[in-house]
Amino acid sequence: MFEVVRQRFLAGTVSVVAGLLLWELVSRLVVANPLFLAAPSQIVQAIYHLTLTGEMGRHVAVSSIEFAIGYVIASIIGIAFGFGMANSVGFKQALQPWISGFYATPTIALAPLFILWFGIGIWSKVLVVITLVLFPVTINTEAGLRTTSDRLVEMLRSFGANERQIFFKVSLPSALPFILAGLKLGIGRGLIGVVVAELFGSRAGLGRLISESADAFNMPELFAGVIVLAVAGIAMTAGFTALERRLVPWTKD
Amino acid sequence: MAPKLEISGLSKRFGDLEALRDINVAVERGEFISVVGPSGCGKTTFLRMVAGLEPATSGSILLDGALLSGPGRNRGFVFQNDSLMPWRTVLANALVGPELAGRVGDGERKRTLDLLQLVGLGGFESYFPRQLSGGMRQRVNLARALAIDPDVLLMDEPFASLDAQTREIMQTELLRIWEQGRKTVLFVTHQIDEAVFLSDRVLVLARRPGRLQENVKIELARPRTLAIKRTPEFIAYVDRIWTMIEHDVRAAVIDEHG
Repeated sequence: MFEVVRQRFLAGTVSVVAGLLLWELVSRLVVANPLFLAAPSQIVQAIYHLTLTGEMGRHVAVSSIEFAIGYVIASIIGIAFGFGMANSVGFKQALQPWISGFYATPTIALAPLFILWFGIGIWSKVLVVITLVLFPVTINTEAGLRTTSDRLVEMLRSFGANERQIFFKVSLPSALPFILAGLKLGIGRGLIGVVVAELFGSRAGLGRLISESADAFNMPELFAGVIVLAVAGIAMTAGFTALERRLVPWTKD
Repeated sequence: MAPKLEISGLSKRFGDLEALRDINVAVERGEFISVVGPSGCGKTTFLRMVAGLEPATSGSILLDGALLSGPGRNRGFVFQNDSLMPWRTVLANALVGPELAGRVGDGERKRTLDLLQLVGLGGFESYFPRQLSGGMRQRVNLARALAIDPDVLLMDEPFASLDAQTREIMQTELLRIWEQGRKTVLFVTHQIDEAVFLSDRVLVLARRPGRLQENVKIELARPRTLAIKRTPEFIAYVDRIWTMIEHDVRAAVIDEHG
């Protein structure tokens, strides 16, 4: 059992190391043009350099704030909408077409419009993040509350539970895995939203760093921005998985 | 002495369907009563009405002389499926009754732990349902119903989903537990030998509409062991009840599969 886990871990490590090595070789020997591709070693150098000058910190701070504000607002509204839809047929019917419509629409295409409305500061990006995170959270919360087992509700009722007790003791715990899954889905969508919105117009942020570097054909710095984003996405998703293991251990084996 | 549970003129309609017609039963304190009948005879509906999960169309149910309306903590319901909350440990599941009543002190906890011991789950209190076998889950289900110290225990085919061997063990276990407290029990089953083995009295229901066909007193000495199932007296009871419902069962089978 332990041996299997170690083998899997080993395979993953070998695969990543081999991939980086291949990348390094291709960019140094095959492409050999820093205008088209940066080698991993150059990217590491660029990250180090940008961090020392404080430029990376500035970009990361702006993007983080935009993401955090948008994500928190979207989560709160999304969970509230999900609860509303699960509890009121009228509310659900009124909201459903909008939710379905917006979820399927690449709302990120509206980013230029939001920048026109709210300027190139953080709020246009916050809005983009909200439109991307809100809908998966709403849909998952509602779906989660709907999966509440009728048997469990009936069981609680037989013990004389009232509606409020049924909600807190059965509906909410049943929905929790779904709500967490929706929030996890929102992380990736929110990060994409921040960066793409920054590409359309911004003063600072990782998207800004990437577009500036692209304009200057500075491949190491462009990749530096992409790598930092990727690491942030992976770290937050892993954090969420750990949180799930703590909060909803019964869904895991 | 007045009966513990007095059911008079109980009827239930679901739209055009007459599920139960004019059921009259008086249950004595500490009596173990089983309800058998073909599928569709309304035996589960009957139990759910006593539990207060289903309103009666007409008639009344008196518990200790008081009219019942809706669920209450004086009745403990043991469901056919274990209906345990997967996010709670065995102990937390068993404690849900007292918790809903707003009283989970050390006393309740201690008492519930004792009950888990009684149902044979000592040491399993911090396990989660998914770590337990079907038989063990049904033991939790039973402990949970007992934890509210109900006046009447209502059991809806609690062993139906268990395999045959586990089922026999659970029957003897149930009798052992019942001997400790002698609660009044209403036990619904479609298994005639299970009803005879457990009960002081077997109510035989007929179908379409569901009505009380016969009231069979089981005069077998207690405490009973599985060996009793091989005695001629036991087999005679099972045969007698089977003959009563055979025609109805055949009709039910044709309805369902024909």
